[in-house]
Amino acid sequence: MTSMQNAPTTPGRIKLADEESNRIAHLLRRAGFGGTRAEIDRAVAQGYEATVEELLHPELQPDLEIEDLIRRYHTDQNSLMLLESSQGYWLYRIINSRRPLEEKMALFWHGLFATAYGKLNHAKAVVNQTHTFRRNGLGKFADILLELSRDPAMIFWLDNKDNHKDAPNENYGRELLELFSMGIGNYTEDDVKAAARSFTGWTIDNAEYMSIRASRDSFWPYGRIDWQFRYRDDDHDESEKTFLGHTGQFDGQEIIDIIIRQPATAHYIAGKLYNFFVSDRPDESAIGDLADEFIRTEGDIRSVMRRLFLSDFFADESARFARVKSPAELVGGTARLAGSHRTPEWTICNLAMDVNFMGQEILNPPTVEGWHTGMEWIDTGNLVERINAAGAEMRDTSRPGVRAIIDRVKSAGDVQSPNQLADSCLNAMGMFEVSEGTFDSLVAMATPWSEVRFDREDTAACAEERVAEMIQLIVASREYQLA
Amino acid sequence: MTTATATFTYSHTVGFLAYRGRGFIHPIALALGDDGVMYVLNRGGPESVGRLEHKRVCICTVDEGYIGEWGTGGTDDGQFWWASDIARAADGRIFVTDEALQRVNIFDNEGNFIRHWGEVGEGPGQFNRPAAIAVAPDGTLLISDGLNHRIQRYTADGEYLGGWGEFGAQAGQFNTPWGITCDADGNVFVADWRNDRVQAFTSGGRFVGQWGTSGDWKGQLNRPASVEVDGEGYVYVADWGNERVQVFAPDGEVAAILLGNATTSSWAEDYLAANPDEQRARAEANLAPAVNPWRDHHREASAGIEGRFWGPTSVRVDGAGRIYVVDSCRHRVQIYRKVVG
Repeated sequence: MTSMQNAPTTPGRIKLADEESNRIAHLLRRAGFGGTRAEIDRAVAQGYEATVEELLHPELQPDLEIEDLIRRYHTDQNSLMLLESSQGYWLYRIINSRRPLEEKMALFWHGLFATAYGKLNHAKAVVNQTHTFRRNGLGKFADILLELSRDPAMIFWLDNKDNHKDAPNENYGRELLELFSMGIGNYTEDDVKAAARSFTGWTIDNAEYMSIRASRDSFWPYGRIDWQFRYRDDDHDESEKTFLGHTGQFDGQEIIDIIIRQPATAHYIAGKLYNFFVSDRPDESAIGDLADEFIRTEGDIRSVMRRLFLSDFFADESARFARVKSPAELVGGTARLAGSHRTPEWTICNLAMDVNFMGQEILNPPTVEGWHTGMEWIDTGNLVERINAAGAEMRDTSRPGVRAIIDRVKSAGDVQSPNQLADSCLNAMGMFEVSEGTFDSLVAMATPWSEVRFDREDTAACAEERVAEMIQLIVASREYQLA
Repeated sequence: MTTATATFTYSHTVGFLAYRGRGFIHPIALALGDDGVMYVLNRGGPESVGRLEHKRVCICTVDEGYIGEWGTGGTDDGQFWWASDIARAADGRIFVTDEALQRVNIFDNEGNFIRHWGEVGEGPGQFNRPAAIAVAPDGTLLISDGLNHRIQRYTADGEYLGGWGEFGAQAGQFNTPWGITCDADGNVFVADWRNDRVQAFTSGGRFVGQWGTSGDWKGQLNRPASVEVDGEGYVYVADWGNERVQVFAPDGEVAAILLGNATTSSWAEDYLAANPDEQRARAEANLAPAVNPWRDHHREASAGIEGRFWGPTSVRVDGAGRIYVVDSCRHRVQIYRKVVG
């Protein structure tokens, strides 16, 4: 890959690499948490389509290879009793996973099926739910909904343990239709009632004891006890129901089978995927395209994601940097870039706190609607937090990822002008597209240095410090804060 | 759980989840004192400011008497960050390894800080996450140096005496070793954690033999965290990744597999008596439910069945035939008894 001599191809935007590299860097930002320069180079070598296929099949990559080390060094992340511990555990996965799309899908489904620690007082139950998303997140949507309906955290979150044959509770049935599959306006109140009755008897073991513990946040005497799904036939309403025009003695699985055949479901899920993976601004044509694929494949999410990543609307330059990174993406992606936390470090709890301070308590979303994304991630306080946290992560030049960036910058030339330094730093970080304004700011920062020299013993250390300063400014840039 | 010569039976449970005072929070190891006294080292975590005080040593007795506590989290002298193991010398001095601060703290029998030693590095005597510590019969200290993949020996004052081992899976090599102990003759036993085996050495570090291969069948090991040897040559292994303790007879055969049988301690009973609605609902609950098939894994079973071991990080035996298992994710110590004959 060669520098394109800072040639602007769209008004106000400078491209530093060829189109294939730009396209792949975009893919790795969206389907994962951004690629290091080495990861981008590898993906370019194997090609865009092959990289998409690799991402779509996380099961072909090893699972988290430091899971045992995490649990050894963080005893609290072995029990996952506390929310902060569990947030740290997820960050480790984001930072170290060789299955980036698996983690990205888990974040997507977690945002859609938002289940919060705040009501459950059981962090591991929410973590277990995210494992369900890892297992099924690229599978059939029907399987995802079925697993979700049997997930103890969801059963507790939306009160299905209180949904009895003789006293239905409609909370889960309602949200299943409104927030999880079809969207409001595509069903009636009678459909909600029928769905709720169909899920009666889908509960957890020891519901009363677990409810008392949760209500008083009791982890005594010996910590949390994992909840187990239990189907209680004696509490299931077997009577006839009419749901979305179908009539029968439905149970929950049959309700799901009907839901996934609805065009509204295809459109709703397509819209959510588009918003999460493509742009904060909806495009009805593109969403329709994804919905068609959903219908054609009977809700196969892997197929829908393949269509998305191979689409013209995803490749279009207007889609690049069109999404604000969520705090988890920003913090996890920056740690990946810096190469930090590849072995367990106690400072993981600080990273988890950074994510919280930026407004995203993973495993504890604010409401059943999840987080408000896009520009709502940004306010004055959050922006300062985002910039400071990203800069701090890149400050330590001993970190392997930072070291790799410095080494690549050095390989671009022993003596570099401000313009060359900005170019080589961006290239080394896999940041191939920036605005003229961003590039000018980087050059302006380096201008007082006149030049940096890596070839002399008396200037080499200073030159490396200059690189570190430059990459800290780059992660503060608008482009880095976007995906 | 029987062999021709010994039976291992559950006795009772000591402990209760407590951030301070009478109870434990993520205990990771214990040392045994005189007359049934236990020094339980609480790792706590995560390392946020408000939780540092959870890191401490709780002193109690095997028959559930609470004596007190000392220590707290921090980086000052005598404070803990990632406290990993605790050992008590014959003169009453207590040693605590710390994997984050890369040092060994020395306390007197009352918990008063004496001094510490250690620095990070790969050189002789330096540490990269000192995991476990054992007092040899001659009073020297053996320390498993986790990420340096070796064993090092020191005087009780921290003077480096030598060591052995390097990264690898051959005899005498290690992969992130954890637990360590000595028998009465000074032979050294190491829980070679990421190699899924226990290795035995002479006091001089010559390889003698090993137990275990990777797996969860009888006799196999999954990330063994701790090893202990009793006076009759029985070897006890905290088979951490398999959520169990395996006891090997002197002939190497598996004498017992312990999965955990915890009952409520008297400290737990006190809590429940003060919370009668919780007590009543608990009495009506099934605390050993069938675990959902998609979570049918040792760890998940332990998370769902309260009486099972969950993260057994340390096993110790005393001269009275008692076996102490530190049940780190359940904040308690399960006590077993060995009955011979």
